[in-house]
Amino acid sequence: MKLPAFIKTYDGVAVLDFPGMEIEPGKIYAVIGANGSGKSTFAKILSGVLPADRKVQLPQSVGYLPQKPYAFRMSTKKNILLGGSEEAKANELMWALQISHLEKKRADRLSGGETARMAIARLMMKAFDLVILDEPTAAMDIETTAAAESLILDYTGATGCATILVTHSLQQARRVADEALFFYKGKLMESGAKERLLYHPTQPETKRFLEFYGQ
Amino acid sequence: MGSALQKAIDLILSADAELINILCVTARMSIQSSLIALLLGVPLGIWLGACKFPGRNALVVLNRTLMGMPPVVCGLLFYMLFSGVGPLRHMKLLFTVKIMVMAQVVLITPIVVGNMETYVAGIAPAIRETAKGLGLGGCKTFLLMCGECVYQIFSAYLLAFARSIAEVGAVSMVGGAIAWKTNVMTTAIMQYTNRGSFSLGIALGMILLAVSLLVNIVISLLQRRLSR
Repeated sequence: MKLPAFIKTYDGVAVLDFPGMEIEPGKIYAVIGANGSGKSTFAKILSGVLPADRKVQLPQSVGYLPQKPYAFRMSTKKNILLGGSEEAKANELMWALQISHLEKKRADRLSGGETARMAIARLMMKAFDLVILDEPTAAMDIETTAAAESLILDYTGATGCATILVTHSLQQARRVADEALFFYKGKLMESGAKERLLYHPTQPETKRFLEFYGQ
Repeated sequence: MGSALQKAIDLILSADAELINILCVTARMSIQSSLIALLLGVPLGIWLGACKFPGRNALVVLNRTLMGMPPVVCGLLFYMLFSGVGPLRHMKLLFTVKIMVMAQVVLITPIVVGNMETYVAGIAPAIRETAKGLGLGGCKTFLLMCGECVYQIFSAYLLAFARSIAEVGAVSMVGGAIAWKTNVMTTAIMQYTNRGSFSLGIALGMILLAVSLLVNIVISLLQRRLSR
């Protein structure tokens, strides 16, 4: 699958310059970089939420989990069923993410971590060609992060989609991803297999970033 | 104040026919105008808050300007349109409750639109982003957005009703404050004050506040019950 090249500028300043790349189905791509490096803009443009400077051809079916997913004023289960109509699948996802007990609770009254888990379940009700997750576990504790990571791995394997995982956690990138992309000041500095990029980076910016965050 | 309160209680207990007529006309005008304003303003406000299109900002500014329209200006416009020399004189609506309702609708619809627009503009980006991420269509997204506004509709209605029941400038101009026909609480208070019957005016004012309080309590209870 080809991710198109695009540029995004705000007030004449380029905030993201992505050269485009080929990605493989069934693989997880971790997107790492410091705050303001363009990770979320990258995710938003690829998902079609934010337009690039010029119209680009995006993959046909893209699922996107925003950094702050919206919880509609209805039960957790009804929120999840917005993603797809299979009730058994919704139950299965709720069980995997440890939110079965919240089934009837109004979703807009869930905690941050619970909302994040509900939103993951809601997205995974359907199969997409490309799934983009923008810091899906940022609000979760260790135990629920492990459950969510396990589900992300299972979902990617079962549906054969390509998953782009925007994360601040290098540990998470190491645990979950197959490949990694490092963004620096709106540019894709380096990409490749996670073992190489996260342990033997070639670019000085990547090295500095990894040193700072603790290799 | 004590004697005014006593007078207000006496007025209610005596079931004075004129007072009951004033209350009925006030209720008819306020309820009808606020409901019509709600029917017109809610979809318009949601549309304005949720959709992006050229000229949207200009419409928002225009609506905010209309929110501050002086009631007497609105009354004057209606008077000019429907008076004996106006282009709509054949409709013979001047000095009727109907024209009072129409003037009120023009005054309060922008308030409902503005209230809904501000609320929807706040939640729309997150809803759009989430819905797009789930692959939901535009129609489904709009319906979800409407569903999120249910509680705000109550607030908008309260605002509309409060403005309608307390309005005096436009209704006195187009209604004429005719006893037994178009006299409402606010215009009656003005009449009593002009006649020097201050305590009667204050008594009516207290009843007006009590009616407003009652409507607020009922709507708030309804809102609380629905939000459980």
